[in-house]
Amino acid sequence: MSTTEHEVERSARARRPGRAAWVAVPVAVVLVLLIVVLATREPATDRVAKSERLGKPAPAVSGPTLDGGTFDLGDRQGRWVVVNFFATWCQPCEKEHPELRAFAAEHAEIGDAEVVSVVFQDDPSKVEEFFEENGGDWPVVLDEKTQIGIDYGVSGIPESYLIDPNGIVRVKLIGGVTRAGLDAQLDAAKGGS
Amino acid sequence: MSRRRLSWVALAVVLAVALVVGMGSREEQTRTERARSFADTVKCPTCRSQSVADSDAPVATAIRADIDARFEEGQNEEQVRQYLLATYGDEVLLTPPRTGVGSLVWILPVAGLLIALGALAFTFRRWRLEPAGRSASAADRELVASAMGTSDPHGEGDGR
Repeated sequence: MSTTEHEVERSARARRPGRAAWVAVPVAVVLVLLIVVLATREPATDRVAKSERLGKPAPAVSGPTLDGGTFDLGDRQGRWVVVNFFATWCQPCEKEHPELRAFAAEHAEIGDAEVVSVVFQDDPSKVEEFFEENGGDWPVVLDEKTQIGIDYGVSGIPESYLIDPNGIVRVKLIGGVTRAGLDAQLDAAKGGS
Repeated sequence: MSRRRLSWVALAVVLAVALVVGMGSREEQTRTERARSFADTVKCPTCRSQSVADSDAPVATAIRADIDARFEEGQNEEQVRQYLLATYGDEVLLTPPRTGVGSLVWILPVAGLLIALGALAFTFRRWRLEPAGRSASAADRELVASAMGTSDPHGEGDGR
């Protein structure tokens, strides 16, 4: 074989995809697919989580509210209460807000359940702005030292706790809620109480 | 008093003074240091194997502040630990509990060490009771005899 033939063959071999390419391409495809799936997937909502507080008396939710009043969960005995921990910097909180609004409106008419939000490490002025923009007329308790959040064992927001008419914690929901999900939990808890 | 005795007394005085000074400064730092070292043992609920002392996650900051406040109120470590266990459960502790199933983490290494020490003591004792010469085979004896130039493989000759 002449020198020229050798060079031609070497350059042809260089152009041919090597073994590394056969591995790298499928890996890259799988990675891209994974990223697409994760980026476009709807965040999981209405996820029931375990909590040390379940079945026990609900920790106090009392303190000043955003509108200048005060709130005390102890005064709400006899009704189901959804205690919702949120902040304006939390995107899933923003996403669940219309669902909470729908649930609150539906049950305000029935008169069996209500919502109370507890601010988790956020600026009250931002919370005020958030409620002006997104609506919602339920009490919003300011928890300056995050004491209520810690008492409930909040790990990450949004988190919601369903409290029964006797003041017992019945369900903990993480990752945001939907009206349908809350209704389902409420119905199940009513059935079991 | 001899010079040697004097130097021992001087050493004892220096040690006593160092202990008193050391304990005094510990008293001053006690609350902050205790809160910090306790926070090192509390797991950040949203992090992976990171303590609330090392994490800047919002919930870790809140728990850290709560621990500080409780120590400032005069609560001891056990009281703060019980509170956190009641709110977050066993998972909030980076060091496993000393009771229940978690206690196995503390008991097993000690039990393993004791068993290993016992086995070593037993083996050493057996070696002492069974000298190596006793287990010499007939072939060994023959080899020794041929090396010594005698035809008495059992070593029952003149005893040399």
